[in-house]
Amino acid sequence: MTPPDHDPTRWLLRPAQPRDLPALEALARASAIGISSLPPDRDALRALLALSAKAFASDDVASGEEVYLFVLEDLAQGGALVGTSGIAAAAGFNDRFYSYRNEFIVQASAELGARNRIHTLHLCHDLTGVSLLTGFHIDASLAHTLAPQLLSRGRLLFIAQFADRFSDRIAAENPGLSNEAGACPFWDAVGRRFFNMDYSAAERLGGGRNHKGWIAGLMPQSPIYVPLLPDEAQWALGQLQPVGELPFHILMDEGLDGDSYLNLFDGGPTADGRVALLKTVARRRALQATPADGTAAAPAGSAWQLVANARQADFRVMLLPATAPGAGLALPAAAAQALHWQAGDALWGALLDSQPPEAAA
Amino acid sequence: MTALHVRGATVADLPLLQAWLAPGAARDLPAPGARSEAWLVVARRADDQPLACLRLRRAIGLDLPRHWYHVGWVVHAAAELGLFHRLQTLQLGNDLTGASELADIAWQPGLDAAAQAEVLAPLLAAALQALRAAEPLAGASALLIAELPGLVDADGLSPFWQGLGRPFYDGDAQQAAQRFGPAWRSHVATLMPRQPVYSAFLPVAAQAAVGRAHPAAAVLAGLLQQAGLRPGGHITIDQGAPVLTAPLDLLAG
Repeated sequence: MTPPDHDPTRWLLRPAQPRDLPALEALARASAIGISSLPPDRDALRALLALSAKAFASDDVASGEEVYLFVLEDLAQGGALVGTSGIAAAAGFNDRFYSYRNEFIVQASAELGARNRIHTLHLCHDLTGVSLLTGFHIDASLAHTLAPQLLSRGRLLFIAQFADRFSDRIAAENPGLSNEAGACPFWDAVGRRFFNMDYSAAERLGGGRNHKGWIAGLMPQSPIYVPLLPDEAQWALGQLQPVGELPFHILMDEGLDGDSYLNLFDGGPTADGRVALLKTVARRRALQATPADGTAAAPAGSAWQLVANARQADFRVMLLPATAPGAGLALPAAAAQALHWQAGDALWGALLDSQPPEAAA
Repeated sequence: MTALHVRGATVADLPLLQAWLAPGAARDLPAPGARSEAWLVVARRADDQPLACLRLRRAIGLDLPRHWYHVGWVVHAAAELGLFHRLQTLQLGNDLTGASELADIAWQPGLDAAAQAEVLAPLLAAALQALRAAEPLAGASALLIAELPGLVDADGLSPFWQGLGRPFYDGDAQQAAQRFGPAWRSHVATLMPRQPVYSAFLPVAAQAAVGRAHPAAAVLAGLLQQAGLRPGGHITIDQGAPVLTAPLDLLAG
């Protein structure tokens, strides 16, 4: 299963298509790391693919309801799917998007010689309407390659290219702590007190797409004083499920803030940031590309960049060796074909910091 | 002629009375000529020996802020799901500011229930009589309150304090109460949560102590009820003990 060769030019990020259904189902079942955004059953997955295809193809003014699902292809394996990620144009579309906001209150009594910095959680709708990065799912064997960088950051080039379809602010939910049995210390300390049931049971009870809205309506509306929570729940605040660490660290590196908001249900961190300030967006530059002979393979240790075409429905991003500032991009035929690029088309690049972790075999 | 009479406390009474008082009670005689405060004792006529005492305050909380939790309810309902939850909330505030108060009621240790009733009845009657006779004070409300002592566990600790107080002040509450007297609760209130707290977040023992009086105060509580005072939806901030209230004009007399 593990490809012997991790040449970064072998991966391509593109919009998911209805024909990807069987491959996505297989991916959802396979050993993968990250945050699953894939619905559990075939009909829901099919509906999601149709919705995404419609969003990528639409020339209409964005309504906020759009979802964009991307897939990562391995060109060296005939285009096999090895990962997926997504964007929702507006969080809480048509409703509200609930989060807990971390706030700190300092209370003091000079007479008692006491001074406390009290952590409180405020139920809020701050992130309603913000664009959401909605998932990150990649073949576990690729965790230590550059493929996760392409899968996560490639989306940001799409947002930058089609900025009027998105908010200028972006957020991403990350899974909080729970054990193998599904028990979640944060839910047990907060949600369970107001529902007397497991989170999974509460979720089933709600069903449907907007279940979080009504669950939130039953949660305490005044701030939660963290010192009143059991130690285990206090400790779980803002803690990540280990499978969420890779995508979270990429977002932290992009400059998102992981300390302000928490997921209402499992206490995991909801990262947020301004699109224009993200590393990949700030580094995005138009590239002057010319067709070139040979391959794009670069010696180990060289710098890499994301290279995206400028098409909406046929958006494509891949990794290519970085070009010197001011220099043109010599685009090998294979890359041009993968990017659906023809002479005269625009291309956009954004430099990556990451180096390939090991020399290509 | 009865064997008891009610009079003002004197310097000579102090050693005896102070030994009866709870930490956090006022321990000094009111300033001479004070209109808002009186310290009454009920004593045997025979030797003038005090048997119980009570501090009558009027227009409370106007110099030193007083704090209580208001016990309220929030209903979270989702009709389509058949969910209906009534949740208790505690809201810190100064709601009873301006009230009159029967405070620091204490008696000689060892009195049985009958003896307690015998000494407390004339003391309460005299206090209510004094209230009715007093000139109105600026800022005073038409309410009378009396705080009862709250539940404590086998170690003498208040489960309510352990659940809601200690997470915000981890110092020795008893010691601080002893040191600061009535000001203790004013000081510690600045450290307590200002936003409503759902009781569901408190330990079970703390939830169970909300609005519960110490059994040792049963006779006192009965007499106050007879006089017309009722639990009014407020509790003390350090013990979660009930605060009994009554409109002054509805008091039995």
